[in-house]
Amino acid sequence: MKKLLGVALGILTAIGGFVDIGDLVTNAVVGSRFGLSLVWVVVVGVVGICLFASMSGRVAAVSGRATFEIIRERLGPRAAGANLAASFAINLLTLTAEVGGIALALHLASSVEPRLWIPVAALAVWLVLWRVKFEVMENVAGLLGLLLVGFGVALFLLGPDWGELVRQAVPPSPPATEHVATYWYYAVALFGAAMTPYEVFFFSSGAVEEGWTAKDLAQNRVNVLVGFPLGGLLSVAIAACAAVVLLPAGIEVSSLSQIVLPVAQAGGTLLLAVVIVGIVAATFGAALETALSSGYTLAQYLGWSWGKFRRPARAARFHLTMVVALLLAVGILMTSVDPVTVTEMSVVFSAVALPLTYVPILLVANDPEYMGEHVNGRVTNALGMVYLVIVVVAAVAAIPLMIATGAGS
Amino acid sequence: MLTLAVALASTAGCTVASHQEPGQATAAVADAVAQAGSAVATTRLTVSLLDADRVTTPVADAAVLDQVRVLEESTTALTTLVPPDDVSSAQRDAGLAAVADATAEVVTARAWVAREAGGDLSTSGAVPLTASELEADLARAADDLDAVLALAGGA
Repeated sequence: MKKLLGVALGILTAIGGFVDIGDLVTNAVVGSRFGLSLVWVVVVGVVGICLFASMSGRVAAVSGRATFEIIRERLGPRAAGANLAASFAINLLTLTAEVGGIALALHLASSVEPRLWIPVAALAVWLVLWRVKFEVMENVAGLLGLLLVGFGVALFLLGPDWGELVRQAVPPSPPATEHVATYWYYAVALFGAAMTPYEVFFFSSGAVEEGWTAKDLAQNRVNVLVGFPLGGLLSVAIAACAAVVLLPAGIEVSSLSQIVLPVAQAGGTLLLAVVIVGIVAATFGAALETALSSGYTLAQYLGWSWGKFRRPARAARFHLTMVVALLLAVGILMTSVDPVTVTEMSVVFSAVALPLTYVPILLVANDPEYMGEHVNGRVTNALGMVYLVIVVVAAVAAIPLMIATGAGS
Repeated sequence: MLTLAVALASTAGCTVASHQEPGQATAAVADAVAQAGSAVATTRLTVSLLDADRVTTPVADAAVLDQVRVLEESTTALTTLVPPDDVSSAQRDAGLAAVADATAEVVTARAWVAREAGGDLSTSGAVPLTASELEADLARAADDLDAVLALAGGA
């Protein structure tokens, strides 16, 4: 019974922890402009993140070591250093977007200016990182993030023409009003949002934090293979709400306040309040994960003592890295840059950095020296190679598409 | 010194106006007007939801304030545009007028939201008393924007 509860909790936190500010904004923007014609990208992204998250979890459980420790050992300090620089920069951009997302969500709840919430949000993130146990932090944020299921409830309450939604999704093609290049730009952005690199760093380091062993592989697989696809459904619900309410009204999403309007229309103030709490929890949880990922990547590369299972005094440089990352995020946001713009940039640059994250994981997961009998099987490798091609194409296309489309405008 | 002189000479002929094609200017007008149209549509939806008590006043205020910023961007896009010919110049002027009108209506909507939230604007004659009046004004502003959009080939 206890084991069953553990599995259920793992799945629920995986669902609640799946959506972050990048998923929220990108899915709503795409839904309001393209309807559900890009829903196939969410499917591709979810399969990809399931594949690589379970792979990195398996590497951590079997080897007892997190991704970046092995990347440095396997690729050497120079190649791993380049990987670290790119991953850390993308992670910092994502952390900035998440802290901005918390501030925007609190603004919706309070009318207090987001710029006043930014330092408060960062301080709260730091306090949780400093004081709260890893399991408690992960479970509370994940479970509260489940409130985003309000988007799914809203979709049903809106009573859409389901046939029309299916027609938008199949066969996938850009609407007549949108340019093909813009369609592909948002396809890359959506893919980057679903496969954000920090998720893998956090997942593999979290496995070490929780002391996974080879015996935990089955639960790891269930958490990922059930939790992430259900989390992906939340992403689709966000896009569908925008497609049902905002697209026909000619509204293009450019702010968080627009994303919640379909929820208000469907369920009134009660459902709206539920979803706003869900957005705060989802962005707060993602801010914790990205801040931790900053500490994990740098500490694992440089061989510092790391982990929340250690007292902060015993992993001082790991904690200092997170503090500096949070201060940088606050500094960036206090320049008055629009957090939604930061979010849009972060998902596109995540797409650029995808090969740097996923190629080493595929290499390590195939190395019998680390994995023993748990190396990738044929099917996993075949799927991994397909995704390798996809992430490389997305990475190469991201910047040219961004320039050609004026960042999708 | 010579390099500097060559660089200056080669960039001296560059002006925004002389190198912009009429089609590009028309597309820029259409983009800015479409953006403004989205802002007005968002404001209409927000006003109707607040009138029906389906949205909280902080969310409504944030939504309308965000649209004021969008309209500022539209205005900037139009005011910084240098039309290369008379046709696109007329389109830009029509766009500016329609966006200015839309901005005024959205600003009024924000005052209406503030009054709904209990703000001290009840005696202000410029703020419509009912949501339906406000929605009618916003609908008219949206129609004006649509007309300019049709002129610029964006609809």
